[in-house]
This record gives sequence, C-alpha cells and structure tokens, in this order.
Amino acid sequence: MDKKTLRPVIKYLTDAQIEEIHEGSLELLENTGIKVELEAGLKVLDEAGAKVDHQAGRAWIPRELVAHCLETMPREFAYAARNPEKDCFMKPGGRLYSRTAGSPDFIIDIDTDEWRPVLDADVKELYTLMDALDGISIPTSAFAQDWPKFGRDILMLREMFNHTDKHLHLRTDTVKTFPHMLEMAAIVAGGKEQLKERPVVSLLEGHVSPLRYIDVMVNALLLCGEYGIPLEICCMPMAGSTGPVTMVGNLQLLNTEFLAGVVISQSAHPGAPLVYAPRPMLMDLKTGFSLAGSIDGEMAAVAGVQMAHFYNVPVSVHGQWSDSVLDDGQSTLEHAYTALMGAFSGANILVGAGSLQETLSISHAQLVIDDEINKICFRALEGFTVDKERLAVDAIARVGPGSNFLADEHTARFCRGERYTPALFYRGSIEGWEEGGRKMFRDRAKEKAKAILEEHKPNPLPEDTAKALDEYVSDAFKSLGIDWKLS
Amino acid sequence: MSNTLEQMQKDLYNGQVDEVRAATQKALDEGTPAQEILSDGLIAGMDEVGKDFKAGDLFIPEVLMSAKAMHAGLDVLRPLLAESDAPALSKIVIGTMAGDLHDIGKNLVGMMLEGAGFEIIDLGTSVSPEKFVETVRTEGAAMLGMSALLTTTMPAMKTTIEALTEAGLRDHVKVIVGGAPVTAGFAKEIGADAYAPDAASAVDTARSLIA
Repeated sequence: MDKKTLRPVIKYLTDAQIEEIHEGSLELLENTGIKVELEAGLKVLDEAGAKVDHQAGRAWIPRELVAHCLETMPREFAYAARNPEKDCFMKPGGRLYSRTAGSPDFIIDIDTDEWRPVLDADVKELYTLMDALDGISIPTSAFAQDWPKFGRDILMLREMFNHTDKHLHLRTDTVKTFPHMLEMAAIVAGGKEQLKERPVVSLLEGHVSPLRYIDVMVNALLLCGEYGIPLEICCMPMAGSTGPVTMVGNLQLLNTEFLAGVVISQSAHPGAPLVYAPRPMLMDLKTGFSLAGSIDGEMAAVAGVQMAHFYNVPVSVHGQWSDSVLDDGQSTLEHAYTALMGAFSGANILVGAGSLQETLSISHAQLVIDDEINKICFRALEGFTVDKERLAVDAIARVGPGSNFLADEHTARFCRGERYTPALFYRGSIEGWEEGGRKMFRDRAKEKAKAILEEHKPNPLPEDTAKALDEYVSDAFKSLGIDWKLS
Repeated sequence: MSNTLEQMQKDLYNGQVDEVRAATQKALDEGTPAQEILSDGLIAGMDEVGKDFKAGDLFIPEVLMSAKAMHAGLDVLRPLLAESDAPALSKIVIGTMAGDLHDIGKNLVGMMLEGAGFEIIDLGTSVSPEKFVETVRTEGAAMLGMSALLTTTMPAMKTTIEALTEAGLRDHVKVIVGGAPVTAGFAKEIGADAYAPDAASAVDTARSLIA
C-alpha cells in the first residue's frame, strides 16, 4: 500500500476543451500569424519553414512546425544555484518551488510606511531577506531607482550574486545589456559551458499582447537558447484590453502566444529550456487599471497550467498577486488564495512573494508574510503519511470510550512532524496578546524582517570571482558609456 | 549527585517510564534516601522539563510523558516517604462547572499540575458548588481549580466561591479559574485568587500561590 496521500490538483478544463484551445492556437498561428520585431527572429522562422514577410515583420507558423518544436522542448532541467544544495528541479508534475515577483519599482518603507522608490540600500536588504527566508526558493530582480536607468539590470545582477547563493531569476531591460548579464553569469558559473550545464540564472521575458514579439523578447528567446539558460515565456494578455474579455478567450490568446515563443526558441536552439508562464490579467472595467489579484484571473492561470501539462513542460504560475497598495489584510488574503490555488494547480513555481500592486511595489513585511504563505502551501501539498501506526487503531483501542489521548504514548510519539506551525501567527490568549503589545500581523512580520537583517550574513562570492565580476562590470559599463562607480 | 540520579533526570526528560521506575529502585538500593531521590532526581528532572516547555522546545504530550515517568518513580518512593516526616504533597481539587461537560482543558491542567508535583483530586464534569465545597473540606485542599467552556456555566464559579465563604473555608483555600471564555477581569469580579489562560500558566500560578 502507498503510504503517501495523493497530490491534490485543481482542474477546470476537460481534455476536449484543452484540445479545442490547442486547435484554436494552431489555427491562429497559421492564418493570423504574429508580428516579429527583430530581423534575427524572422530569419530563424523563415529558415524553419514559417511563411515570413520580412518587410512587414509578420510570420505565419504552420502546425507541423509547432508540433516539431513542442517535441524538441526539454521536459526536465534545473534552475541551478550557486550553492548546489539550493538547486530547483523543473519537471511537469514535480515539486513546487517559489520565487519572488519581478522588478518592483516602489517599496513600503519598513519604518515610516511611506510608499517610495526602491533605493540601493533597499535592494541589498531585500536580497538578504530573500536569501534568509527558506520559503523563498528563487529570488527575482528588483531595481533601485537611484541607479542609472540604462545598465541597472547589470547592477542588479551584481547585487544578487553578492547577497544570495540561491538560483537567480532575472529581468532585463535592453538587448544591449542582456548579453553582458549572461557573461556575468558565465563568470560565476565558471565558464560558458559550465553555465549551460548548471544555469545559475534564468530569465522571464514577455511579448506584447496581442501577438506582438518585440525585439527584447525575440532577443531573449535567441540568447537564452544560445547560453542554455531557462526562459519563462510570460504570457500576460489583459482581459478586456490587450486580450479578449472572456477568461477562456484570454487563455486562448496567451496559449497561442506561448506556442509562438516556443517556435522561435526551438527553431533557433532545439532543446533550449523553456517554462510556460501563463499570467492572465484583467482590466478593471470601471477604471481601466490592470488587475492582478482576482479570483477570475487565478482560475484562468490554473487552466493555463493545464495547458502546460498538456504540452508536458514546466510551468510557473501566479503565486502571490494582489492589487492592494499596502501589506495589509487585502494583500494577505489575495496572496493566500492565489498561492493556494497556484500550489494546487500542479505548477512548478509559485511566483510573487513580496509583491504589492501587482508587481509595482514590494515590502519587507509582505515578503516575510509570503514566506509563511509559501510554507503553508508546501505543507498543503505534502499531504499525510498513512500507515498502521499513524492510523492509530491500537491507540484508540487502548484509550477506549470517554477517556483522552493527552498522555497516551501514541500522542507523545507522533507529536512532532505531523503539523506545520506558522512562526508569524499568534494563537494565544487575548491577555497574552495585550501583554505582548497588541501586535498586529504585519507588525510581527516587520519585526521578523528586522531581526533577520540584524543577524543574517549571506554566503559571499569567492573573492576572486567577486573581483572578476566587478572587473567585468566596470569594463561593460565603459563599453556601454555608463558613468557609474561600483560601491 | 550520583550517576543514577543524573541518568534518572535524563530519562525523565525523555519520558521513559520504565527506566525512571527502575532507576528509582536502583537509587534506593544504592542507599540514597527517598527524600533526596525525590528532590534531586524526580523534581529536579521535572524542573528541566518545565523550563523547556515554557521556552517552547517541549510539547504538551512530551511533558505529560515525563510526568508519567515521574509518577512511576514516585509510586516506588511513596511508602518510604510516608514513613519519613517529609511534607505531604499539596492537594488541588479540580472540576468543570455544573452544566459544563467540556473537560479536556481541565484534564490537561490536572495532568500538568500532577506533573509539577501536586496531588490532584479530579471531580470530573458538571460539578455542583456543594460538591466542590464538601471536597475542599474533607480533603483539606490547598487550592480549588474551576473550569468552564460555556458562558452559561461561568456564573456557577461565583456561586461556588460564595458557598466556600459561607462554609468558612474561603480563607483556607486558593481559588483559580480558567476556560476559553473566562478572563482575568471575570476572575477578579467573582473574587477568585487567580486566572490562568493556559495549562502552563496554571502550573506557574499554582506554584506561586501554594507551593
């Protein structure tokens, strides 16, 4: 008898509905086609057998090519970490990891609660926190606004390497800076070949919905393939504006866009590691704002994970998404349900820890709260061990009717390891809470963040690597004409 | 301290009932006085347990296993202690209020108090004020612990305290109350000596009131 319980998985789409969406995507790619705004991408598609209009920057992709490219996609690969103990393994239906949300520009000041730009000192603190919190598997970029606008992605990667030995998930701004970031990753990995074997960085990049492959995205698809680093294809149409207003229509579009990305990537570099990243958004029909933390969007994301499973590829999903402007009850509720649904979708990566206002802002407290939410999700997926001793027939018989289990040996024997105790929760009496200073949830999260920053010392880069990295960055800045002194 | 007592403390901490019982006999055989085994072995061991429980390192079921082990040792010593002029354990009467059948919290407090070295007279559930008063008198109890889970049974705590006063016993017995809806304010209002929000503080409070 199997002792572990089942992994719970939420499904919305029937097999026939999945086929219908797939078929719709093939039709659209063949008949409507996509816009490709980088000649190198058009060339790749042309050579692979797509119908291409170089002048108009359009490509029409035949279904045979889609089928072929879906074949060459790898099913399993690692998000390798500088510290191999922190490697994350991607495979469909595999275990769940978590990562923070990409590139917030604003932060809720931990002392004043003021909403203000992310600054250099914040970036250092945030990565120290992401390094220390073990419910965060994969730190993701955050840019400081007191850095130069051009070249900030390079600076960010340097800070990340200096503050954590976990796998690093990147954002890039330009086709000019990204190659330098890959070279930096190669320095830390020990060479370009070593980086291919153990990609210590990965990237998320997106096209522009509907169906527009901008230069940065095409460049990312080509370069990530060349360097062998995993790429999350971010499909983010907004229901009602850049996508159809219906949830499944939005899903239809994002699935089509994902397949187009797969074709560009695999045509250029067969076997390049890709992750499906369905991020269905909604336009607020009253204000025109984009909405992230909606139950509807999360349902569509879960259906997106089903599409990824249909294609048998790794997938990342909304974990913590919120529209709240503050790390408060709303953000924590939104994050809890998006995270649990994301966890139960069967995805590989739960994305969004720390984020607020979609991914515009971040806060120390939210990061600590989301670390807790992640751990609760991990626990929820773990299920139970079912065996004779744990089923406790003997213990129940021993205690008998009307007594209790308090002092039974079975209770003492299994009282550890059967349950997860959230470190941030207060579960005591009202008197104890009052004596403790009437601390609210977010006060306790802030306290924990401060304690970590006080104590935690990240594992630094080896001295010679750090030196080589700084030399490379200085040279790169010179060649890019960026005037910035490394601190 | 002898090796036997040192080992006894460790076994007690780990909740090893049989080992503690055997070690108690062994210590006696080695000529250690019963009173010394009690204070330097069993009670000293339980003090460690109490410390780590308070720090959150030990869980309630583990404390209860240690308490069981302590009692296994105590059972060996009891006849010898009775012969000596060692002071008897303080008695605590406990029970839930008339009309209240919820007793798991009361049971837990009882076990924890027993583990801390008190003698517990558990009257069970739905105990009338008269029964409480009578038992306090006949047992010569140092403390009365009353528990309620229902707001409807809380007034009986006040009635019981009044009955103790009428019987002329109130000055001889400390009264401690607890249970989910009970508060420190309520305890004060009805004239109880103390309120404990959980099992661990019930033990601390009992110690400070009557030990």
